[in-house]
Amino acid sequence: MMKSRFHKGGGMLALSAMLLSACQSGERAPTPEELAMSPDGGTTACPSQVLWGDTHLHTSNSVDAVFNGVRLTAEDALRFARGDEVRSTTGLDAQLSRPLDFLVVSDHAEVIGIGRRIADGDPALISDPTVRRWHEMMNESYAQSTRAARELIVGYAQDTLPEILADPEIARETITSTWAEHVETVERYNDPGTFTSFIGYEYTSMPTGNNLHRVVMYRDGLDVFGETLPFPANQSQDPEDLWAYLAAYEERTGGRAMAIPHNANLSNGLMFAMEDFEGNALTRDYAERRQRWEPIVEVTQFKGDGEAHPSLSPDDEFADFGNTGWDTANLDASIPKEPGMFEGEYARAALQRGLLLESLLGVNPFQFGMIGATDSHTALATGDEDNYFGKFVSDEPNATRAAHSIGASIRGRLGWQYLAGGYAGVWAGANSRAAIFDAMARREVYATTGPRMTVRLFAGWDLEDADLSADPCTLYDRAVPMGGNLSGTGDAPRLLVTAMMDPEGANLDRVQIVKGWLDSDGELQEQVYDIAWGDADTRSVDDDGRVAPVGNTVDLEAATYENSIGDPELSAVWTDPDFDPAERAFYYVRVIEIPTPRWPVYDRLRFGAEIAEGTELVSQERAYSSPVWYSPEA
Amino acid sequence: MESRWRSWLREPLVHFLLVGALLFLVLGRSGTGHPEGYSIRVDDDQIARIAANWERTWQRPPTAEELDRLIDGFVREEIYFREALRLGLDEDDIVIRRRLRSKMEFLARASVESEAPDDSVLQQWLDDHPEIYAVDAVMTFDQIYLGEDGEEADIRAALENGTDPQELSATTRLPFSMAGASRSAVERQFGEAFAGAIDAELIGEWQGPVQSGFGAHLVRLRAYDAGQTPTLADVRQRVENDWRDATAAQREEEAFALLRSAYSVEIEGRD
Repeated sequence: MMKSRFHKGGGMLALSAMLLSACQSGERAPTPEELAMSPDGGTTACPSQVLWGDTHLHTSNSVDAVFNGVRLTAEDALRFARGDEVRSTTGLDAQLSRPLDFLVVSDHAEVIGIGRRIADGDPALISDPTVRRWHEMMNESYAQSTRAARELIVGYAQDTLPEILADPEIARETITSTWAEHVETVERYNDPGTFTSFIGYEYTSMPTGNNLHRVVMYRDGLDVFGETLPFPANQSQDPEDLWAYLAAYEERTGGRAMAIPHNANLSNGLMFAMEDFEGNALTRDYAERRQRWEPIVEVTQFKGDGEAHPSLSPDDEFADFGNTGWDTANLDASIPKEPGMFEGEYARAALQRGLLLESLLGVNPFQFGMIGATDSHTALATGDEDNYFGKFVSDEPNATRAAHSIGASIRGRLGWQYLAGGYAGVWAGANSRAAIFDAMARREVYATTGPRMTVRLFAGWDLEDADLSADPCTLYDRAVPMGGNLSGTGDAPRLLVTAMMDPEGANLDRVQIVKGWLDSDGELQEQVYDIAWGDADTRSVDDDGRVAPVGNTVDLEAATYENSIGDPELSAVWTDPDFDPAERAFYYVRVIEIPTPRWPVYDRLRFGAEIAEGTELVSQERAYSSPVWYSPEA
Repeated sequence: MESRWRSWLREPLVHFLLVGALLFLVLGRSGTGHPEGYSIRVDDDQIARIAANWERTWQRPPTAEELDRLIDGFVREEIYFREALRLGLDEDDIVIRRRLRSKMEFLARASVESEAPDDSVLQQWLDDHPEIYAVDAVMTFDQIYLGEDGEEADIRAALENGTDPQELSATTRLPFSMAGASRSAVERQFGEAFAGAIDAELIGEWQGPVQSGFGAHLVRLRAYDAGQTPTLADVRQRVENDWRDATAAQREEEAFALLRSAYSVEIEGRD
């Protein structure tokens, strides 16, 4: 039924022409979904609840996922995310401990669906000898399939894929039929008030293996989205062309879209470079468009954590989370890191660069909020250490995955170096596409490395300790929430921070404010402040204002920890002691949990898994709020 | 009329015939004769399929010359196919075996994908699975947070002396009251164990200590409405999604069970 909605005759060029010539659409009435009831029965303008979701998930429509063996579909992914038990590709019963509130199934746009056709032995494709060999490997065993995947990813990164995969007719037919079916499934599972599913995909730009990937997500349903097709990186690797495509989409349909960069840590400095894709200096126009189309960045996921790096933040003892193995080279490990690249990769440094660029251009191109996601290629959006289903099907739970190179991971990256995944926390007034998308657009979102801790941040001039017990909805009149802007001339703003543990998880060690600023000499600076901590009656603060370590209750044999250290909730109203009203700055919250076991510890308990020397067994999981930005009043 | 057709579809005999017909389609390749025979007939339908397949890929009909080549290719493939079967090459090829299996499974499921279930089918599904669709219980309660350790004696004494309960709660950002909150909202705030431990029969009195991830609480339930089953109209899309998913899986299992029943399988060393 859906297929008839797509133009049979037109290729990508025709579609682009159609988009470019489209006329401006007028105002449209709110859809029923936009007026949807919140889960508790009332509409509300106040973002009174945090919703949890994954914006980054792959299924068998992604060519690398299906090559790595996955056979689950978008429907399986949606059912799993909303809390159902689903049989994984390798035959294990999988379920989340708690449902998610929303999901973006974000399959790779590049000839979406073609991997499944190769697996199925489409005659037009397996006429090519390389593709035919891959077809046979895919159907022989997971190990062989994984080898085929590796060849495919290297071929894509190095631009040596068989020509038939770029055949425009085959590609067009595959994309339109796969996409029509996909969008129809997403639409069927969107259930406002209970579970939101977004139309989306991944734009997989990676020149010479440097990761410039973006997840693209839409606020709209099929009624607005219509016949729109995804924008693949084989049309252009330059993200500015993706933005142009999204601008044309909005103009043509009256809808809304955004792009979410991820794995900047594997971009070899390109993601937050000081120049554009062509190597030109950034302009005000570029900055405006980047801020418009990319309001948030995915900073933590399976393939490492990109908040901070020890070499950039030597005074930050918590800057080493989830870096190991991911800070040596680009995505396909074809080009090693060199000095100067990290500044264009890690979120904190990028936020600092944004201040500098704002002072030069008048607009901050890197004014982004932060979220976490999984990037799972198993169709299973798992984020918990004790329920890790792996990056690829080859590392669904088994005894060898921690110690070995897995899936399509390339040259030296080991299973244990993968993180168990992150999620996005979204402050929204209702569980609907409109409410969640709009919260992301205004950056009222935060990242976690998996646990669902509740984190709020407000900044303003007249916040007081008494406001800690006020209804947060009353604070919006006199303060900005996370993601907001402040400007002033005199006093330091006051930051109100509250953090509550995941009620099913671990206590909190401490709450920190991370400040970045551009000083009066034009140098970029950073400082981490401990502003609240657990066990405050017994933990001392040293001369530098650092709080002593919280301790460690992890039992590695039993894979357990005790909430006998740390606190269930921490909060403070904090004022920057080093504030200078003339200096641009940002402030974000980092919440640190007490130490808990990492997923290999559970594997050892459950499967007697082999644990290699050097495996990190314990970590302190965390949340990163989106920043609040301060600028001197003009 | 339609419901009779649907009840027919549930008959095992009909399933058997359908599966038999599908097997014939897959293995027999109608129009070309028995796979192990020596006569091949390429009829008009088959030629039309060959041409259509070409057109699907190339977006134009084949020329006469191209069609001749396609037919030659088809015959060549058919001969190789039969000879390969005769040599048993399919049997030790894991790729072919997997593909045939997944084709069989797909055929069993495919009919459900396009089927449009009517309301009576979906209503039946809803009636059979009320627990999936039950609307959450809705509750209104107050809670006094006792801290991580949960000493309640002094608090209870103070409550009996008429102290304002809100003043007795340890300092916390947890809400003192939740009004008209769904069970899932309570779980989200306090954790699953807390929501499960509240005694719905005890209205108006302080119960507990009730444990949450944060520690211990005294809870006073002020109102509690058990979840109701919604009407089909409220949850139609969900019900249809679930019915389709489950029915496809069930058809696949039934089709296999039918085939399996024709086989006697003996596994050495096991009863």
